[in-house]
Amino acid sequence: MSAADLDALLRRVAQRDAEAFAALYDATRSRVYGMVTRVLRDRGYSEETTQDVYLQVWRSAESYDPASGSALAWLLTLAHRRAVDRVRAEQAATQRDSRYGAATLERPADHVSDAVISGEERRRVAACLDGLTDLQRECIELAYYRGMTYVQVSERLSANLATVKSRMRDGLRGLRNCLGVR
Amino acid sequence: MTRPYSPDELLDLAVPYALHALPDAERDIIESELATAPRVVADAFYDEVRAVRETMAVVSAAGAEEPSADLRGRVLSSVAGDNVRTLGSPRRRTAWLSVAAALAVGLSAVGIGLSQRPAAPQPSTAQQVFAASDVHTVSGPIPAGGTATVVFSRDRNAGVLVMNDVPPPSPGTVYQMWLVGEDGATSAGTMNAAAVSPSTTAELINLGDSTKLKFTVEPGSGSTQPTGQVIAELPLI
Repeated sequence: MSAADLDALLRRVAQRDAEAFAALYDATRSRVYGMVTRVLRDRGYSEETTQDVYLQVWRSAESYDPASGSALAWLLTLAHRRAVDRVRAEQAATQRDSRYGAATLERPADHVSDAVISGEERRRVAACLDGLTDLQRECIELAYYRGMTYVQVSERLSANLATVKSRMRDGLRGLRNCLGVR
Repeated sequence: MTRPYSPDELLDLAVPYALHALPDAERDIIESELATAPRVVADAFYDEVRAVRETMAVVSAAGAEEPSADLRGRVLSSVAGDNVRTLGSPRRRTAWLSVAAALAVGLSAVGIGLSQRPAAPQPSTAQQVFAASDVHTVSGPIPAGGTATVVFSRDRNAGVLVMNDVPPPSPGTVYQMWLVGEDGATSAGTMNAAAVSPSTTAELINLGDSTKLKFTVEPGSGSTQPTGQVIAELPLI
């Protein structure tokens, strides 16, 4: 589904159009759930959080402003904020127990329909991620997928704050150029 | 007055900001800095934030994973049942006067309805509750300040909530009301900072077999189940 189609769906959701909401869910659920589950690493938490994300979409779609970005970016930003809040709350509650201690990322099963996200698009993104340096990729993964602050990332990697900030920035610029994001 | 960040230092933080990777306190400082920073600096900052978020939206294709098929039904039904309504009133009054005001608002709304539409209007929830023979009132303090009062009727299966002098929720959170019964908690609406005024009223419809009204602090625009700090509970008996 094109960016313009998603924008149009989200504007219909703002008008409380339940059909548009279902179509938006179907077009975006695997991206939202995939990101949330990489952050939370727990199926139950991830489904609860995904449900809360879409309820928030339903209630706040009116606040989406196309001038400030695409509908997909709006949705994933909202979902990421929620996932990060949840992982930080759980970590505070469990004092960083083993549930979130695993160092390696499991690759999700590859069963998302080509109709929603083409295999070509996924390969292109994977290739761009592979183009980052290890340190750039680690900085972005720890921050984005582990919910760490850049201060925590610098402690984890024993790197100074300036280095972490510049690796994040360079990594994102590299990805942006590679993916052709305007 | 010296600023805590130079323009370059601010721009260096656009990526962590966009990735939600700033400590909360630093994020708040940066947002207030940007509000007063030169336009060109704020524009450059938010431009970078936008580009990072668009980039991560594209990246989400690589980690896409299907949720369980059941989730679709739960998401669609949670939205279908979401008839949350929040009413705000800027007037400062005692709880009982506010309840009277809520009733008056209901009456005047009916009056407008009558003048515009000849069809017989439905009495407002507040009117129905006040007219009930089994009207009850419960009231309790909110630890953060202010009081919550519920006037309700089991016969009418409805109530009116009035909150007086309750401080607004912190940015990024809402107050959420829950009707709690044997089967768990059902959302009875949310109030964001804009909705919480010195005197705030909200209708509670379908009390069901609930035995108490619970208030929690929830992130974003609210949750499907209580997850945050409980700030008050009122028994509905």
